[in-house]
Amino acid sequence: MSKQKKIGRYKILGELGRGAMGVVYRAEDPALDRVVALKTILLSDDVENRKDYEKRFALEARAAGKLNHPNIVTTFDFGEEGDLAFLAMELLEGTDLRTRLKEKGLATDDAVEIAVQVADGLGFAHERGVVHRDIKPGNIMLLERGGAKIMDFGIARMRSDDFKTSTGMVLGTPRFMSPEQIAGVAVDQRSDVFSLGVVLYEMLTGQMLFAGADSAQIAHNVTNIEHEPPSRRNKEVSSLLDFVVARALKKDPAVRYQDAYEFAADLRTCLAELRGQPATETKRDTTKTVKLARKIDSKQPAPVAGAIAASTRLSLSRQFDSRAALKRLAAPGMLDRASLVRPPRHVGLLRRICRDAGPRLLFISSLLAAAAGSWIAFG
Amino acid sequence: MDSSYVASVVFLKIQEFASRAASEQARQRAQLEAVIAVTTADLAPASRVVLDASDGAAIVVLANPAGALRLAERALKASAAGLPLCAGINHGAVRVLGSGMGEAMVGDGIAVAASIAQFAPASEVRATRAFRDALADAAPGQEASLVPKGASSDASLRSHELFTRDRAELQRRARTYRALSTAAVVVLLASGIGWRVSQQGKDAFFDGLAAKYRATTAQGERYVRGLVDKAKFQ
Repeated sequence: MSKQKKIGRYKILGELGRGAMGVVYRAEDPALDRVVALKTILLSDDVENRKDYEKRFALEARAAGKLNHPNIVTTFDFGEEGDLAFLAMELLEGTDLRTRLKEKGLATDDAVEIAVQVADGLGFAHERGVVHRDIKPGNIMLLERGGAKIMDFGIARMRSDDFKTSTGMVLGTPRFMSPEQIAGVAVDQRSDVFSLGVVLYEMLTGQMLFAGADSAQIAHNVTNIEHEPPSRRNKEVSSLLDFVVARALKKDPAVRYQDAYEFAADLRTCLAELRGQPATETKRDTTKTVKLARKIDSKQPAPVAGAIAASTRLSLSRQFDSRAALKRLAAPGMLDRASLVRPPRHVGLLRRICRDAGPRLLFISSLLAAAAGSWIAFG
Repeated sequence: MDSSYVASVVFLKIQEFASRAASEQARQRAQLEAVIAVTTADLAPASRVVLDASDGAAIVVLANPAGALRLAERALKASAAGLPLCAGINHGAVRVLGSGMGEAMVGDGIAVAASIAQFAPASEVRATRAFRDALADAAPGQEASLVPKGASSDASLRSHELFTRDRAELQRRARTYRALSTAAVVVLLASGIGWRVSQQGKDAFFDGLAAKYRATTAQGERYVRGLVDKAKFQ
């Protein structure tokens, strides 16, 4: 590759990075005299799936080309040359969020600000029928001049008909995938909302939300484990922000934020609260929802949602002191232990007569009447 | 701390919580916390654990099903001030997770309470058969106030027999027992009389009864006179 000086009309200036799908170069477009980021896929790497790769790449390019927004990396051009398919994109000066989080944490308001911008970008893409499907810190670029941009609509697909679970192709990064994405069912914009919720959680707490030894374990955690409120790990997180994160991280997409703009609006309120400012009026009508793909029923819970209810794990409330009861459970007395582990007993006649007023009245009056009747009969 | 225990779980659910704006959710959560603070005041601190749920709260009540039912009812009353609350009560296994004083609780007791709370309309409580049995064990007779309200299947396709609170049922039951007691008294006395009549004949029985009455009355009169004389001498 180093010998190749040009791809299409683009002059290669250097390598910017390598991803799972291909290499990203710094390149020059001589026609417009501008420097771009050129993302390539080496099609010959996978001959069997070449046609599928080509199709995916073209879809990606067309989808990304529709998106012109300050919080989305602009796509200029796409094409193929030999064994390479390429995509020319806006070249950004900055650092990606993953690197930033590794180097140092983010202030709470900065984290929310970034999430607002990403949500705005996603909202714009969703309105145009494009779902990113791989929102993660590595795909969010923090610009030197400020602001955040969503990169790599590399697996973004047109929402309607091209999801191919039958081929076993699951797209995305497990740690940031939504439960429905892991389940392999059709996803919509609410999946991106979940992924952004995970990113926001990690920005706020500096800790991974869904960790695991392998992908299977992470997938299990994504679908089953309820998150701990971020305020427990970061005291600066307000209860309002806890709620916003919780709503974005709902396992059931039907009860999650229905679109990214709605999420952004609530985040702006949190940001105003954090910065001690009155909430600014949002530019958009926040009650507006993006029309869902026809195949997706918003009322229909994701297949994983059912399992969640059955494995309820609830955290102790911080508002109420439960130490006395927990102490009692930790070291119950002999008698207390019996009452704490014994299932309910059947209530026998004797206990019923002794402790239940109705049967007691019937028993005593019958006994007295029987005695009186006997006296009358035999006395 | 690793053991499982059996406890009553009151799951207080804010209806349609997830669909509300975050600011409204925060307001309702604060309201719910106030309601829980008021309603758990009757319970000893050593007999209740309060847990956070995404759309409400769960209160695990140890060895006191009647207290759990009271708590649920009081919470629903306190929520009349605009908090759309409903409650599910179950009696089942719970377990503390985490080290030290614990961080979370799990168990079927909690899961089923959360599940049946979904079937409860606003300001109403739904209880399981297990809770009704536990209430009967702890306070025999009180379980009568939980009347059947159908059955529902949760997301895991488990079927739950549901009961709801009907205080009037306790009064109806008390009236029924009073009527039964009266009937028993009448029947037993009548049986005694019937037996005697069948043995002695009607006239002999009533003559004997009249004689006994006269004798008893005379004896009573003598006794009263004696008391009056005693009082006069003093």
